[in-house]
Amino acid sequence: MKTPRGLTLLQTQRWAGTLTAAFGFLACAVSGEMGPAMTALFPLAVAGSAVAGRRFHGRMQWGWTVLLVGALLVLGVQVFAGQIDIILAAALFAELLCIHRLWHRRTERDELLLLLLALLLLCAGAALSAEVTFGFAFLAFAVSGTWALALTHLRFAIEEGRGPAGSAALLNSRRVATPALLGGLAALAFFGIAGAALIFLTFPRVTIGGLRRASRPAPIAGLGDRVDLSRHGTVADDPRVILRVRLDPAPRGEPRDLAMHWRARTLSQWTGHGWQSPDGGLIPVLRLPQRPPRGRGVPSVLSADIEVVGQFTDGVVFTPEGWPLGVDFRQPGTPRPAARRLYRNAAGDLFYQPVDSGDVRYSVVADTDEPDPARVRGRGQRYPSWVEADLAVPASLDARVRALAERLGAGKDPADAAAAVERWLATALRYTRDLPGDVADPIADFLFVRRAGHCELFSSAMVLMLRSLGIPARNVTGYFGGRRTDAGYYAVRAGDAHSWVEVYFPDAGYVRFDPTPASERGGRQEGFQARMVLLWDSLQQRWRAFVVDYDLVSQAQAMRRIGQLLHETGRRLAGKDGGTGRLRRVIAAAGGVLVTASVIAWLRRLRGRARKGQERELTADQRRAAALWRVGRRLLRSAGIEIAVGTTAGELARRVPAAAGLVRAYAAARWGGRRLPPRVVRATLRELRSGLRASAGRDI
Amino acid sequence: MTPAWKRRLSFTRMGRWYTGLTIGIGLAATNTGNNLLFLVLGLLLASIIVSGILSEQSLRGVRVERRLPSVATAGQPALIGLQARNGKRRAPSFSLEIRERGGDVAGHGFLVLLPAAQSAEVAYRFVPQRRGLHRFEQIEVATRAPFGLFEKSRPMDAPAELVVFPREVPARPLVGRTLARDGERPEDRIGLGLEVHSLRDHRPGEDARSIHWRSSARAGRLIAVDREQERRKRVCVVLDQRPLRGEALERAVEHAAALVSRELDGGAEVSLALAGAFLPAGSGEAQRYAALRLLALLGAGGDGLGAPEPDAEGSVLQVRG
Repeated sequence: MKTPRGLTLLQTQRWAGTLTAAFGFLACAVSGEMGPAMTALFPLAVAGSAVAGRRFHGRMQWGWTVLLVGALLVLGVQVFAGQIDIILAAALFAELLCIHRLWHRRTERDELLLLLLALLLLCAGAALSAEVTFGFAFLAFAVSGTWALALTHLRFAIEEGRGPAGSAALLNSRRVATPALLGGLAALAFFGIAGAALIFLTFPRVTIGGLRRASRPAPIAGLGDRVDLSRHGTVADDPRVILRVRLDPAPRGEPRDLAMHWRARTLSQWTGHGWQSPDGGLIPVLRLPQRPPRGRGVPSVLSADIEVVGQFTDGVVFTPEGWPLGVDFRQPGTPRPAARRLYRNAAGDLFYQPVDSGDVRYSVVADTDEPDPARVRGRGQRYPSWVEADLAVPASLDARVRALAERLGAGKDPADAAAAVERWLATALRYTRDLPGDVADPIADFLFVRRAGHCELFSSAMVLMLRSLGIPARNVTGYFGGRRTDAGYYAVRAGDAHSWVEVYFPDAGYVRFDPTPASERGGRQEGFQARMVLLWDSLQQRWRAFVVDYDLVSQAQAMRRIGQLLHETGRRLAGKDGGTGRLRRVIAAAGGVLVTASVIAWLRRLRGRARKGQERELTADQRRAAALWRVGRRLLRSAGIEIAVGTTAGELARRVPAAAGLVRAYAAARWGGRRLPPRVVRATLRELRSGLRASAGRDI
Repeated sequence: MTPAWKRRLSFTRMGRWYTGLTIGIGLAATNTGNNLLFLVLGLLLASIIVSGILSEQSLRGVRVERRLPSVATAGQPALIGLQARNGKRRAPSFSLEIRERGGDVAGHGFLVLLPAAQSAEVAYRFVPQRRGLHRFEQIEVATRAPFGLFEKSRPMDAPAELVVFPREVPARPLVGRTLARDGERPEDRIGLGLEVHSLRDHRPGEDARSIHWRSSARAGRLIAVDREQERRKRVCVVLDQRPLRGEALERAVEHAAALVSRELDGGAEVSLALAGAFLPAGSGEAQRYAALRLLALLGAGGDGLGAPEPDAEGSVLQVRG
């Protein structure tokens, strides 16, 4: 007899328990807060327990006890000293307990404790992590946990019900934990998940708000305050999402790619090989400086809801194109005061504090009307003293740069000069990211040797050329662009890093110029990896929007929406709407299709069951015998011999001697286990036909 | 009559932990407002609901019948069968524990799976510790499926009675007046015994086995033999239970039962005379059953009852406490 493949019930139950513990741990580990040692420890412990767990069961208990008590003490001291928070400590200790249980599991109590510890790890993961990866770990936990709970119950119910001797055969059978059983339990898990979603949606979100775990402050590195032009990076290929932006009003036509400069900070001090931020500290901002009057009507206001991914913020506030009118760190719909405050430096760049490792969300309102060069023409060159830093020309500036600037802008109005330089750079030079390493003078090399470069070289060259003409200008860094996502926001990616120029005009302030060719601004993230990164980010955002940030307001909105939907459906079905006829026809058609499909499925199932019942157990010879019997009966009927219902083969043989051979062959093969090759079938039928012919006319 | 919808619900050890943890997570979620904890809470609550639905599905449509043994003797194991039938057409039932509830007998059987529209039988061993009537009241079908968190059970009325015979003990040897009339006695009339009653001529058509060949040879014709009718040994076991109480009564009853069995095994006709009751003489298994049943149900006391009246035609085996 063929031995079935697969795992025994006992093995499957143990693996389901291990998997559940592993997914509980994973839910914690994705937060990244458990540390590399504790993260690596768990998989090693699982592997070890699978290999040698049984051998160590019940041994060295004192060692385990000392280890666990020691770990508890260490974690307690760390919590007391404020080095780690209590949730993380609890997660780490639960991991150790889980490992201990994985190495000591024999009784029902051991198995159930393991599952409870896995559940505790999942809960700790919920407190530690808000990422979508937790969602995947949660789903996997739901499935494996269902397997583990059901199989553990089954295993110990069998042991209890049948005793150790009676249960051994069943527990070691490979016919119990079949894929069908595991599939059924997985389907059960999905019912559980659907129920969880329903409960999640409707459970009243009345929260007390105590003991909420805050993100741990940590200094991070992100947008640099320094640019070195003699080096070449690969930042333009980086598809990681930096900003998530929702614009109000939405851009006209909702284009796939947004053409927007996202301003970060000013780099106005030339270092010889690049730029750095101006000196000076930050001052708190209560109100943003007002825009110089322009004699225009109502400003065109744009509200940008910006979310900056934690590791890229560096405390900088990104602003869209235009003059920022206000920055608000309060979460929409939340009465809590903002946890962050706004600051600015001498150059007018905006920052926030405190800076932490988490994502930052704020909204910026900006007046999007930007003066074009024509409107700032004729404002003279009497500049205030505080723009002197933007007039500084490095002594080492190549004479050819100055000469080129004079050729393009000497004698012209500053606005025209700036436009001319911008135009010349954008048209005469080529954009490339393929640059050699260190060069002595990156600007001269860019303008006169290679005549090609990236956005920082374009903007740097323009700044230095304008400054050599006595026009205050500064280099500005930030991002350009934004790719629309399915989740309804624009994603600005690391590869969209960009650099441009701001030129000062009296009574107008700084006006943006961008000498980089328009088609080359921003990044080139079009590959598979870039699409996947965007998809993942979109998924993450949906997770956040629908799960992590689901609150009382969202709940009320969801309930109202469901109510409206039901009301609308009821109204349409009741015929109080013009489009009801079509809706009814659609519902009737759908219902008809459903009923027909159900009937067909039912009939097929019945037929399949009948066929299975008849044929599952039959051998080929038995099936041949059944066919021989059917043909024989037909021949007899056609010969005028009526066979009453219920006539047995033996009775037939006695009544019709010609059919004796048929009956013998049929009975021997169908019930006697004899072989019935096709040639015997043919010979039997021949014999029957000739017998019937011979006895034709006889009254049977 | 217990209604079909009646259910009993209790926590298992895992269920108590699970519920405690669910409440704890619910409090933590409410306190912190952490939506992921709400999600975990949702999963735990949904699992409880799914567990409730499936356990109900397992219990519904299951009918159980009890199969009692024909004979049960105190101190000896007896198997009691519980036949379960799943009346549902499609859905199987899982992890069913079938057990006695109420009554004098405790026992249970376990079915891992009871397929749809099928029957299965489990049995449990029951070792009665006393003689007499044992009452059964209800059968309870319980399941912890699918997760072992809760035990849901459904009681069903299944009243029955089982008479447990007295414990089997070796019969003590007896002495005294009663043994004088032991043995089988001829009755001086034609019958089916072994002894010869008379000889006569063989009649045509008569069974050849009745021919007495030696006499026929001597007489020169066929002579038939008529046999003597014999009466079987007749014993009356007498037990006056009126002065007996407690252990003394039990010992006396067990002794009486042992005597009845010994005499019946020896082929005697046995009658049983008790205070207030008399079982006429008889033999065979039916007589044994009737006598042991009478002894099984014999109660203490009965001071108002008349003294036992032994069978006048049988040897008397008097049992004393």
